[in-house]
Amino acid sequence: MWIRLTLTVLWTAAVWAGEEQARLQIYPDRISLAGPGSAQQFLVMFTGASGVSEDVSSSAEPSLDNGAIRIDRAAVQFTGVTAGETRVEFRARGLQATALVKVGAGGGDMAVRFSPDIITILTIKGCNSSNCHGAIAGKSGFKLSLFGYDVKADHEMILTAHQGRRVNLQNAPASLLLKKPAFEIPHGGGKVLPLGSPDYETMLKWLRQGAPLDAGGPTVTRLEMFPAERTLLVGSGTQRLVVIARLSDGTTRDMTREVRYETSNEAVAKLGEPGKMEAGSPGLATLLARAMGKSATAQVGLITAPAGAGFRHPAPQNFIDELVFAKLRHMNVPVAGLSTDEEFLRRVYIDTLGRVPQPEERRRFLAATRPGRRARLIDQLLEHPEYVSYRTLRMEDWFRNTQLFSQGRPMGAFRDWLKDQVQADRPYNELVRDLVTSIGDTARNPAGGFWMPVTDFMLNKFDPKAATPMVTRLFLGLRMECAECHNHPLENFTQDDFYGLAAFFGQMRIKIGQGVYRRTWYLDETAEVEHPSTKKPVLAKVLGGEPLTLPRDADRRVGLADWITSPKNPYFARATANRVWHAYLGTGIVEPFDDLRSTNMPTNRELLDRLAEHFVANGFRLKELDRVIFNSATYQLSSQLPRSPGVSEELERLLFARYQPRRLPAEALLDSISQVTGIAQTFANHPPGTLAKDVEINDQPAYFLATFGFPRRDLLGQRHESPTLSQTLHLMNRETLKEKLEPEQNLIGKLMARRASDREIVGEFVEHAYARLPRAEESELILRHIEAQAAEGRSRRRTLENVLLVILNSKEFQLNH
Amino acid sequence: MFRIQSSRRNFLSVGSMALGGLSLPSLLRAAGSQRDISCIVLFQDGGCCQLSSWDPKPEAPADIRGRFKDISTAIPGVHFTELVPRSAKIANKFTVIRSMTSDVAIHDVARRYMMSGTRPRTELQHPSYGAVVSKERGPKNGLPPFVVVPDREASAEAGFLGSAYDQFVAGDPKAKDFRVKDVGLPDGMTLDEALSNRKLLQAIDRQFEAVQRSPVIEAMDQFSQKAFDLVSSPSTKKVFHIQDEPDALRDRYGRSTIGQGALLSRRLIESGVRLASVYHGGYDTHTGHEPQYAKILPEFDQAFATLVEDLEQRGLLSTTLVLGIGEFGRTPKLNPAGGRDHWPGVFSVVLAGAGVPGGLVLGKSDAAASAVVDRPTRIEDLGATVYKILGIDAHKALDGPNRPVLINKDGVPIREVLS
Repeated sequence: MWIRLTLTVLWTAAVWAGEEQARLQIYPDRISLAGPGSAQQFLVMFTGASGVSEDVSSSAEPSLDNGAIRIDRAAVQFTGVTAGETRVEFRARGLQATALVKVGAGGGDMAVRFSPDIITILTIKGCNSSNCHGAIAGKSGFKLSLFGYDVKADHEMILTAHQGRRVNLQNAPASLLLKKPAFEIPHGGGKVLPLGSPDYETMLKWLRQGAPLDAGGPTVTRLEMFPAERTLLVGSGTQRLVVIARLSDGTTRDMTREVRYETSNEAVAKLGEPGKMEAGSPGLATLLARAMGKSATAQVGLITAPAGAGFRHPAPQNFIDELVFAKLRHMNVPVAGLSTDEEFLRRVYIDTLGRVPQPEERRRFLAATRPGRRARLIDQLLEHPEYVSYRTLRMEDWFRNTQLFSQGRPMGAFRDWLKDQVQADRPYNELVRDLVTSIGDTARNPAGGFWMPVTDFMLNKFDPKAATPMVTRLFLGLRMECAECHNHPLENFTQDDFYGLAAFFGQMRIKIGQGVYRRTWYLDETAEVEHPSTKKPVLAKVLGGEPLTLPRDADRRVGLADWITSPKNPYFARATANRVWHAYLGTGIVEPFDDLRSTNMPTNRELLDRLAEHFVANGFRLKELDRVIFNSATYQLSSQLPRSPGVSEELERLLFARYQPRRLPAEALLDSISQVTGIAQTFANHPPGTLAKDVEINDQPAYFLATFGFPRRDLLGQRHESPTLSQTLHLMNRETLKEKLEPEQNLIGKLMARRASDREIVGEFVEHAYARLPRAEESELILRHIEAQAAEGRSRRRTLENVLLVILNSKEFQLNH
Repeated sequence: MFRIQSSRRNFLSVGSMALGGLSLPSLLRAAGSQRDISCIVLFQDGGCCQLSSWDPKPEAPADIRGRFKDISTAIPGVHFTELVPRSAKIANKFTVIRSMTSDVAIHDVARRYMMSGTRPRTELQHPSYGAVVSKERGPKNGLPPFVVVPDREASAEAGFLGSAYDQFVAGDPKAKDFRVKDVGLPDGMTLDEALSNRKLLQAIDRQFEAVQRSPVIEAMDQFSQKAFDLVSSPSTKKVFHIQDEPDALRDRYGRSTIGQGALLSRRLIESGVRLASVYHGGYDTHTGHEPQYAKILPEFDQAFATLVEDLEQRGLLSTTLVLGIGEFGRTPKLNPAGGRDHWPGVFSVVLAGAGVPGGLVLGKSDAAASAVVDRPTRIEDLGATVYKILGIDAHKALDGPNRPVLINKDGVPIREVLS
């Protein structure tokens, strides 16, 4: 993996973000052909010091240490000649690379097997995709498993279902299975298998063999696409891909022409004929190949030119910057400069305390001695009581603290419990363990409120099948819900994996506690979860693990909590690190931020790994994760446009080349407006002076909060961050702002009372709202407006109210930038 | 669907909302169909008691049937309770389904279920009817395609379709000085003053944008322009100006939120709004069921019956689907507090217009109105029916997060109500 290599260079030579070492590589470099006559395509890839790759398969000089295989230069493939093993060496550009190829004893004219041959055809032709026969309900009575994960069921459907009407073993060409896709008779899916095409002939041959299932044949255990990551120059034309399947019998099979390809970004990497892609415009694309219910991914980066010696970036503050800037240099995306002290100040206040800084806070920061004042400010803010409130609020979003599901979840108690955890900076692994194993009266053990979103409190019914995707998505970044009904199409998870996890929750029962609104969790130790197809109890099993046999009276969830929170768990720390990163940078290293399936590649794998390692090494403390992110130059980059135009905005965003402006969340916006105007907001059932971020009951939020994306938390997912028409209308029309703008004792009133000049007042407005002093032309602009209003006979007070209204409506105020 | 999600895509699609964009004739041409059906939903918050409304059980014991008497209707042999006399008189103009059934008894979940026709899942927020209609049909005459009365509603959200297709909140037209929320100039503000504020705002924003550019800024710009158009256009304001309706008609609808909401909805769909939902509170009677229903249900009755008649008189009934639906039913037995609790097992809904037959009573509940005995009808089925009537392909796949999501996956259209 090149990133890995980059880093070795980087750390040992202590030249961060430096040049990479040129290298030559053969893909795949471990091949096991079934026998003489079997072939495997290959790629010889040269990667220069700039990190840009080039296919040198046809020009590289090969040598073989024996004659077990021959190299077919035109087809770019190795072909087995006799059983044996050979070392292949290629030389190009003064470098050499080797691969090992085994040739088995199998071979000759191989019989067509249902799996993988026929299933592969059904997959490539899209027959078993979700909008065709692979749909849950099938199509026109013919149902196949999604992308061929259930070989046996598919065979049965083709051979025996509906009285075997789909095949005619006496007269194979008359089989419906061929006539429909060949469009000899009408077919809703069109002509996908033309008469006489190679795939048609393969199917025909299989039918003539008697259409055996041959379930005893080898199965595909893993699919791999090569190279997993590569960077190409724009204009490098058609590029080859190689896909290999590893089979259960230890052999490999060339799947390059036998998988279904998809691209995440057509503009960057357009798919051509099977096994080919066209290099497009600058950007990142993920390619996906699937077959036999398995999938493999590869990432392609396109750049116009490698970064030159003039590539600039701010000084790295910690490992984050080294990795982010190395990637940006690699992709030649210019890095923005560092934010100004004032920009940083406003940004970090909003992200830590959920409000803009006050003028005194700004002045204090600017008066502090220079080296390290940003880091010192971060330390102070992380100890601020409002940080605890705001962090708690974010965690209430994660765990969906709401009254909606249940008066059985005492919202206040759950929030207080969470707040205590945040206050103490409780290690997140311990906190998660408390949630996952919570038991008893939810009023006494508020952690038990965690389950309420997947509990029907009216019917006192708890659903392990609903709890499973909630737990995997929150703590592992895995969306398992697809696997409830079928094997996951984008992940190598099966329905059995889903039920293995659901079994952990099978013992949980809920009953009415003391009083109508209290609920108590207890365990029915013998209760099981039933598999929908076998109708048999399922043994609890973690992903990739063996079924657990536990003592009958054991709380199974403890086993799950052990696995989730283990420092070795490959998902937990990454999922948490990515979630926190997304909260502060606006874009996850993996997007969507809580979807870490293997086919969803991180834009910067090493960065995610290192962040996760840092989190684990620091005792799973969220505050430390916050701290290291806030202290990075990456977080502190300017949000302003880089100097050189023409860089893809998408790439800038995905690779963190500058800070991306974001709307203030509803609570932060409201608390900031209250602070700027000097008029506190009042909330029903809360004492005066309560801040929006401390409001407990969110099922009846004020119109303002609801309009600005205050989440109801009944669904898993993030807040609505995109602007809406109602938001604009609401602020423009002063409805909420009226009660802030008009009172005598507000900011305007105070400034007028002390006879401040218009210029002074404008300065105060700008400092309160933007955390900076007005620029000269800005003051002039506003002062001219005030003058003109006076000339039209409008009162000074009214005009100043309008000016403040306009400032509160301005983008600079409404965005965290 | 396999894509790296781009928030930019959502921002760009915002533009297609085009309030004040396309002209009416061009939109009609684009639609190119006679089935340009609008929809008005009268929603009963908390779920309407089947026994107290459309499915009385006069033969049942007193603690089941309650104190409301049954009355005859325009359809021989069909009885409603005395709380819906106006509707009883026009029973030949709408369909009652007495066999709706579900297993969701939690308000918020049931609301989303009923307002989308798709069972809510915690990991994927399905768009509401109004949001799907906004997406599939787009705006007409520069009006927002989907309006909600009186307040912002979670069950009306656009879910994964994104904020561009979200509800437009109208406010409560019952209020004496009702003005559509946030549209129109605030008290005492002249157009001149608003214009100069806007000029100042643009100048200030221009300075900021000289150095900043991002999708979120572009989206804010678009909304800002639309907002100003909406605020400054006298015609938008006029559409919402319910005060222009004759007092007699306003009285006939009833001066309640549901009554005035229904009337406002009629004005809106007449002018180009595609779907209007009016939420009517007060049906969640865990205590004191009967006095509350005696007050609340006649308001609904008046609004529903008048709306159907009014639409018919204006020749709009054949192109407007009217739904009277709620969250679920209420328990067959009165509880010790004289209340009725949540009961999703069986409940009734009413449908009118857009070709829905008049005088049809579909399905049957048992003697205690506690279970379906004939033609169980699921919320998914109602959803498939609504989309069929609105001319929207229920099996069309929407662009969901990471996978295609059908508008309505499992519903079977109720063939009896389709013309």
